[in-house]
Amino acid sequence: MKSLPSRAVLCALLLGGAFAPAIADETCNSPFMSGLIKGQEQYLHVWTLGEKGVGDGSDKLVTIDVVPGSATYGKVIHTIAVGGRGEAHHMGFTDDRKYLWAGRLDDSKIFIFDVGSDPSTPKLVKTVDNLAESTGYVGPHTFYALPGRMLVQALSNKKDHGGVTGLITYNNAGELVTTTPMPLNDGGDGYGYDIAINPAQNRMLTSSFTGWTNYMMDLSQLIQDDSAMKNFGNTMVMWDLKAMKPLKVFSVPGAPLEIRWALKPGANWAITAGALTSKLYLIKQDDKNEWQAKAVADVGDPSKIPLPVDISISSDASSLWVNTFMDGTARLFDLSNPEAPKQVYAKKIGAQVNMVSQSWDGKRVYFTTSLLANWDKKNADNEQFLKGYSWDGKELREDFVVDFHKEGLGRAHHMKFTARAQKAEAP
Amino acid sequence: MSVLPFAIRRSAATKPSRSPPPATLRVATSPQGGGIARVLQALALLFCVGHAAAEDIQSPLGLPPVPAMVAGTPAMRRLGEKLFFDRSLSANGTLSCAMCHIPAQGFASNQSALSIGMEGRSLRRNAPSLYNVAFKKFLFHDGRETDLAAQVWGPLLAADEMGNSGIGPLIARLRADVEYGPLFEASFPGEGATMMTLGRAIAAYEAALLRGGGRFDRAVYGGERAALTPQEWKGYELFIGKAGCAACHVLGPETALFTDQSWHNTGVAFRSGATGGKRLVQLAPGVLQNVDIAAIGLAQTGAPNDVGRFEITNAPTDRWAYTTPMLRGVSESSPYMHDGSLRTLAEVIEFYDGGGGANPSLDPKIRPLGLTPDEKAAIVVFLGAL
Repeated sequence: MKSLPSRAVLCALLLGGAFAPAIADETCNSPFMSGLIKGQEQYLHVWTLGEKGVGDGSDKLVTIDVVPGSATYGKVIHTIAVGGRGEAHHMGFTDDRKYLWAGRLDDSKIFIFDVGSDPSTPKLVKTVDNLAESTGYVGPHTFYALPGRMLVQALSNKKDHGGVTGLITYNNAGELVTTTPMPLNDGGDGYGYDIAINPAQNRMLTSSFTGWTNYMMDLSQLIQDDSAMKNFGNTMVMWDLKAMKPLKVFSVPGAPLEIRWALKPGANWAITAGALTSKLYLIKQDDKNEWQAKAVADVGDPSKIPLPVDISISSDASSLWVNTFMDGTARLFDLSNPEAPKQVYAKKIGAQVNMVSQSWDGKRVYFTTSLLANWDKKNADNEQFLKGYSWDGKELREDFVVDFHKEGLGRAHHMKFTARAQKAEAP
Repeated sequence: MSVLPFAIRRSAATKPSRSPPPATLRVATSPQGGGIARVLQALALLFCVGHAAAEDIQSPLGLPPVPAMVAGTPAMRRLGEKLFFDRSLSANGTLSCAMCHIPAQGFASNQSALSIGMEGRSLRRNAPSLYNVAFKKFLFHDGRETDLAAQVWGPLLAADEMGNSGIGPLIARLRADVEYGPLFEASFPGEGATMMTLGRAIAAYEAALLRGGGRFDRAVYGGERAALTPQEWKGYELFIGKAGCAACHVLGPETALFTDQSWHNTGVAFRSGATGGKRLVQLAPGVLQNVDIAAIGLAQTGAPNDVGRFEITNAPTDRWAYTTPMLRGVSESSPYMHDGSLRTLAEVIEFYDGGGGANPSLDPKIRPLGLTPDEKAAIVVFLGAL
């Protein structure tokens, strides 16, 4: 498979202006998505890792009603068990928002759910189960909508289960279109993790994590394994999106994970967090219009390895939620000067916390707990929940909790919003 | 140096140019193991193989002949190679033999100290290299298996490795498979896919993973003195002399397997059990952090205890004892020791120079060596030539 992915389609959309940044919905979504939620989200879908001894022990998509005033507000209203424990991890909508792709990092299966027909009861419509054999890569992590395509960032490869990997392009029907290796020259380490596109600039950023051996390994063992600790990504890559060619490799030490572009008009910068080095990094053009990456803030006390994981940027790019897994704390950073973010608020969410999602208006913030099955804490500290909060600009106030252990569900990981009454975004 | 799957021709003189220690050499010149099953297996192999095909693997300079019964036929080895790399042989389609025995990493794994198995479960030991495994009399770090074809089923059935819940379903699937069914039938006429033929096919592939005929062999067994540098020769002299390495990593007059086919307590396991507390952790290149593992809540590794050969024999003298690994291609297969606790060959030499890890069952051959820095460096360089 050597054809370039949807170049013509991308060009047409870029030139036609259909890429105008979304002014609704979650701030981490692909700018190529339509059908965005304006206003109140109605359902949360949580991609949940099966856990031995908890319920049926199987990975599942869990749907929770979050309509205020609903009789089932804050309750589980639907689940689909997909069978087995394959390290359920992240999800992403197709560009038409009708389908939700959900990946597993262990057995590399991708499950495609219909969430457009009736978002309260998603249906599994297809399983892609040949990713490793058809591409050589394993660990489908990020699912990022392109026009008529789904761009998937893998984490590892089937040759040595290390971190050298690539991008995979599928069409919306789940058929393989092409693969693109992560760069190994000009400073590239070949690793991958997240994808974030700035269509106005024709730029795509990717970040880097680690391979199967490390993300599947017990975290305590990993941090004491000198051979394994060498195998983390330390780069980000700026790509020419239309050409799908790497333009520049940035040195970003310590596993830079989630990437968020500022969505404020005219703000051409992105931010990420280095998980191991506990730093925020800014990716921005310098005075000569050259893209650069630099550390701009510490997250907590880096000597204690707080492990910043998911981040969520506000729609006006004025603030950033940063979760630190090890102390279970959500931290809010003021980004009014992105060159010098400052922590202005913190709240302990639980013994551990990983993912954070906020509504477009920032008034609702949701948190889940699981990082990776063998990285999650043990025994009593292995809390597994979804918590919904209201944010008034000063304080997080808890609205509801779904205890994923008491409900017999497993480990709560990635969240995505849907709504029955969603409207297509005007161009 | 040669890493030659399949046909290899001996092309240089076999007489050693020097005189490595001769007395303790034990070469696998006959099939491994014994018993009626072994005889029946040999007869079955001869029936369907024939002498010419069985002799197809020819050892390079410095290695003994590959036992014909393990070598199998070219068809078996091709089938074995396919099986070796096939992830669908594990319960969830994630792990193949090659995921822990990675060809580019000395058929071991540089990825981690301990192997990672089904659903990320941590195994107790480091994946050993498969170079020259056809000559090993005792397989696994604790030597609990003696038959290479039977060994295959250990990882296939272990719940924390490849996780197959039973033998029958896997064999039935292979028989019904449009590719495997005919391949098994062609490789094992009249037998097809069985528990035994699957093991024999993979063993046949592994038997061809020969590492020999390299600079060391040309220098020591081929009379080509210039094949090793002066520093490597110095390392060799130390290896067979002052450092005492060859007492366990044995060299013979015509071949060298670098193992005494036995097991020893070097103190690594005992020492490993005593570690903990603060440790220096590399968070990124050049970013080192002294981390109190317990203080950040990561003290529970869940790593089970490991007392080595003692678990097999119940003999107190075997406590914390592990088989002597072969050393061909050793520079490729870091980290080292049964638990991967030593990252580099320099650390290994340093460990032995310090007299190993003191414990009640320490092998008497392990003693402080008094090596100079130059001598230690020379041994490391020599090992790199194997």
